Amino acid sequence: MNIEITNLRFTYPTGLEALKGINLTINSGEQVAIVGQNGAGKTTLVRHFNGLLKPTSGTIFIGEWETTKFSVAKLASRVGYVFQNPDDQLFSRDVLTEVTFGPRNLGYEKAKIEELVQRALSLTELTDKTDTNPYDLSPTWRKMIALASIIAMDTPIVIFDEPTTGQDAVNVARIANVIAELRNEGKTVITITHDIDFCAENFERVVALSNGQVLLDGPAREVLGQEKVLAQTYVDPPQLTRLGKRLGLKETVTRQEEFLRAIE
Amino acid sequence: MNLNRSFFVPVNSPLHNLNPLTKLALVFSMILPAFLSLPQLAPFLAIPILIAVFIGRVQKQYFNLLLKLVLPTILFMFVMQSLFLPGGETVILNLGIFDVTRESMQSAFYTVSRIFVMISSFAILLLTTHPSELMSDLTRRGLPGQFAYVIISTLQILPQMQAKAQTIIAAQRSRGLDTESSFRKRIGSLVPLVGPLVFGSLVEVEERAIAIEARGFTSKRVKTSLHEIPDPAFDKILRGILVILVIASFTLNLWLS
Ligand SMILES: Nc1ncnc2c1ncn2[C@@H]1O[C@H](COP(=O)(O)OP(=O)(O)OP(=O)(O)O)[C@@H](O)[C@H]1O
Ligand SMILES: [Mg+2]
Repeated sequence: MNIEITNLRFTYPTGLEALKGINLTINSGEQVAIVGQNGAGKTTLVRHFNGLLKPTSGTIFIGEWETTKFSVAKLASRVGYVFQNPDDQLFSRDVLTEVTFGPRNLGYEKAKIEELVQRALSLTELTDKTDTNPYDLSPTWRKMIALASIIAMDTPIVIFDEPTTGQDAVNVARIANVIAELRNEGKTVITITHDIDFCAENFERVVALSNGQVLLDGPAREVLGQEKVLAQTYVDPPQLTRLGKRLGLKETVTRQEEFLRAIE
Repeated sequence: MNLNRSFFVPVNSPLHNLNPLTKLALVFSMILPAFLSLPQLAPFLAIPILIAVFIGRVQKQYFNLLLKLVLPTILFMFVMQSLFLPGGETVILNLGIFDVTRESMQSAFYTVSRIFVMISSFAILLLTTHPSELMSDLTRRGLPGQFAYVIISTLQILPQMQAKAQTIIAAQRSRGLDTESSFRKRIGSLVPLVGPLVFGSLVEVEERAIAIEARGFTSKRVKTSLHEIPDPAFDKILRGILVILVIASFTLNLWLS
């Protein structure tokens, strides 16, 4: 299921134009990271994918559906969106109810719901916390619940808004694991992140936004190599990439294995 | 994300620029005569209220409030009062055991006019005055801080709850809850809202209490204010005139009755 964005512009009621003509195509099964400075418009952009925001002008197609013609609830069967702030997303008494909420609304059969919920809980390692109230858990775990509640919906497109913010190494690895799993299932994963190492290690394609416009778009290695251009949106390439440049390596390297291979 | 957590409309107008105490005086110079002077006066007070709405440039928000909040309330009161107020001879309408008389209707009309004046003047005050501006002016004039805190948090509860409800509804729709279609589903979706709303508010209150205490809320020392609220001579004169007008309306009432 492709995402097709044409000339997307969006102005908030306050009069602030957050998106200034975005053109972007994301193909089925792609793993895309969106980077860019605070206020670049990343959240505003992805909130258009599931219809929470409707374009001021321009169009967005999710498959053959134009987002303006479908309700958010309807689009939820195609696009799962994990909010930036889990506290904006969680409202149930216990973890199990929270995670079951989405798939039940999508009208899957009982057995399927059970299976999806169990899988989401085990992927996020929440299985032993099903009876706990989300607000009795730490913010890091609330983030995992938010993740689980979206994965359980089994949508072809999944969006994560800054999943690794404030998470320790173990949790970051867990999240990377979830993303890898979704990739294996052939899902499209779009992730907003400020964590550039996380971005380099887990995504093939990187889109850099700046000031409501697409600054760079392409394979991770190409985009992350452009130190000067990225500086416009206050993004530093990964340390390894910068080190490679300083060492005068011919290719841009973003991951450890590549770096080791290049210096051999 | 919730930039505006009060009723305040941030535009520039002569009303916005008045000192908060002057606006409070204006509110009471409407309410006191409406309730304590001749009942016939109340309906006429709608005129200065409407003028104030336009001077304050808050007509859109005011009429919105009027439609959603004020009109239903006063319509309900009008009907109830017309039906149940005893007395009066001129029967206009007979509904079984209820007689609607000209007198009961007239008295109902005066009552709702008073309510209208009261709600409207407070609404205009809130629409044109930032709550923190109002409170810092009043505390500077000697209102105890605790008292100001209670008022200000009460004023903000409604907009805050509204904002919180909006985010939760967005979260539920994002997970396939069709709030746009059936009414039953919509009500059903509100039930899980109550918990987080109340809980969230409690947590917020506690956090705020810690935050303000960390900045010396209960300190006994005299506090200075970073934000100066101007109180020019014009405001003082205006307040003087308002006091005279209120006294005049009482005198008129005593004299005529
Ligand atoms: N509800 C809103 N009303 C008005 N303006 C908003 C609203 N939400 C965001 N904005 C503004 O729109 C612009 C883009 O915001 P957005 O949240 O999309 O940025 P972002 O790239 O996600 O930033 P961050 O990395 O901080 O999450 C910012 O200038 C922001 O202040
Ligand atoms: Mg954001």
